[in-house]
Amino acid sequence: MGLSPAPPRFALKRWQKIALNIFIVFHLFAITAWAIPFRSPFVLDCRELVRPYLLWSGLFQAWDMFSPMPKATNTYLQAVIIYKDGSTQMWDFPRMELLTLTQKYSKERYRKFVEILLDQNNAALRPDAARYVARLPGIREKNPQQVWLMVKWSNILPNGDGTYTRTPLDQEVFFRYDVQPEDLQ
Amino acid sequence: MSLKSFPAAWNKFFFEPQSPLNIAVFRIIYGLLVLATAFLLRGDWLAWYGPHSWISAATMHTVEPGVRLNLFSIIPPTDFAINALFVVFILAAISLTLGFCTRVSSIVVYLCLTSIDQRNLFILHGGDTFLRVSGFFLIFAPAGAALSIDRLLRIRRGHESAAELRPRLPWAQRMIQLELAFLYLVSFWWKMKGGAWTEGSALYFIFHLDEFQRFPIPQFLLRPAILRIGSWLALAVEFLLGTAIWIKKFRYPLLVIGVLFHLSLEYAINVPMFQWDVLSAYVLFIDPADLERILNRLTLPSR
Repeated sequence: MGLSPAPPRFALKRWQKIALNIFIVFHLFAITAWAIPFRSPFVLDCRELVRPYLLWSGLFQAWDMFSPMPKATNTYLQAVIIYKDGSTQMWDFPRMELLTLTQKYSKERYRKFVEILLDQNNAALRPDAARYVARLPGIREKNPQQVWLMVKWSNILPNGDGTYTRTPLDQEVFFRYDVQPEDLQ
Repeated sequence: MSLKSFPAAWNKFFFEPQSPLNIAVFRIIYGLLVLATAFLLRGDWLAWYGPHSWISAATMHTVEPGVRLNLFSIIPPTDFAINALFVVFILAAISLTLGFCTRVSSIVVYLCLTSIDQRNLFILHGGDTFLRVSGFFLIFAPAGAALSIDRLLRIRRGHESAAELRPRLPWAQRMIQLELAFLYLVSFWWKMKGGAWTEGSALYFIFHLDEFQRFPIPQFLLRPAILRIGSWLALAVEFLLGTAIWIKKFRYPLLVIGVLFHLSLEYAINVPMFQWDVLSAYVLFIDPADLERILNRLTLPSR
């Protein structure tokens, strides 16, 4: 390739090189301390040390896709809307397996979002989600009184002979939200 | 490598000038992937990030506290402002792809991308994370030194020769390469912590989760014995891509294996964009001379 010799202006001054090396070493250290799946007191201390910078800069990261154990349950999330007149309506969160290929590409965020909503650690997000459903066009106008979040699930069970079985669908309402008048404003 | 030769090896790795062709091709692919991400989100900009979104900004701040680089916290919480931010994001991504005002474009793209991710952390996948982290280091790279409008302008003004490319410091490119290898190695490490991967049942569960199914997979490939081998192969590929990729004689075979690995996942599993986001950085591992030959064969200008 027609590469010309590196011109002098790309030769680093001593202080520039020191600064760059500090920058490189710090980022290698911070990213490693944050993302390695290791929970020794030393690593946890390092993680606390770099946490403010990584959160601020957006360099936080996790690479635990399908691990340590992949999910072994098919789950589907529905909202049950109860109106002031006593009638009810079901609203399905987008289900990837029912979407077209192009929809799967654009709506995949809902798959992740449903996974997050079902996690008890994220219970604080559920009121917002229920409120959003209450505000949806076609629901808001009919005076929703309550929104329930209901999960349906079926486990994938190993049979012991190398095959697996899907259990029948089960369901549970895991969150109830009383819609406030200001939610519909 | 001995302890004595380590400083020299470090200097060579991070600071020996090299062709900017690889980072320029990466910039173009990266810009296109960022654009694709923005357009795929298009129908839900306000649903995810608007003033009446699924998760409010206040809830997000309560659940995920901390000072964060997030433009959403300084723009007015209106539909217009949110849409305007996305328009700026798209314009900057186009500009970055074309290599126009490359440094500024890369900064704007990173600011917008990290803000979008920070505003709603609960809908992200690994591809978003990789784009964000590599976008940070791309800011510092000589991404506009080749295949760019910036270079054309420099040539027109007589600041550069059209006949040759000036070598540049590769340290930012190396950080993106390290990030890619790190991604594989940590993924491998996480998987080794769970019994499903080592005993070989992991892929069975993944392929039987309805939400992840994309195209039909031939039935014989879904046999437990085959899936067991597949699970172990996935572990081996991730480990090798995280380690042996740095050994020159293994690099190209591993890149080919990695491409096949990600394309098969793209076919079988519904995690949009992740495979492409990760594959984008493979170009950084190609020898610049080989890359130039490939571009010439494709009758594309390599400078």
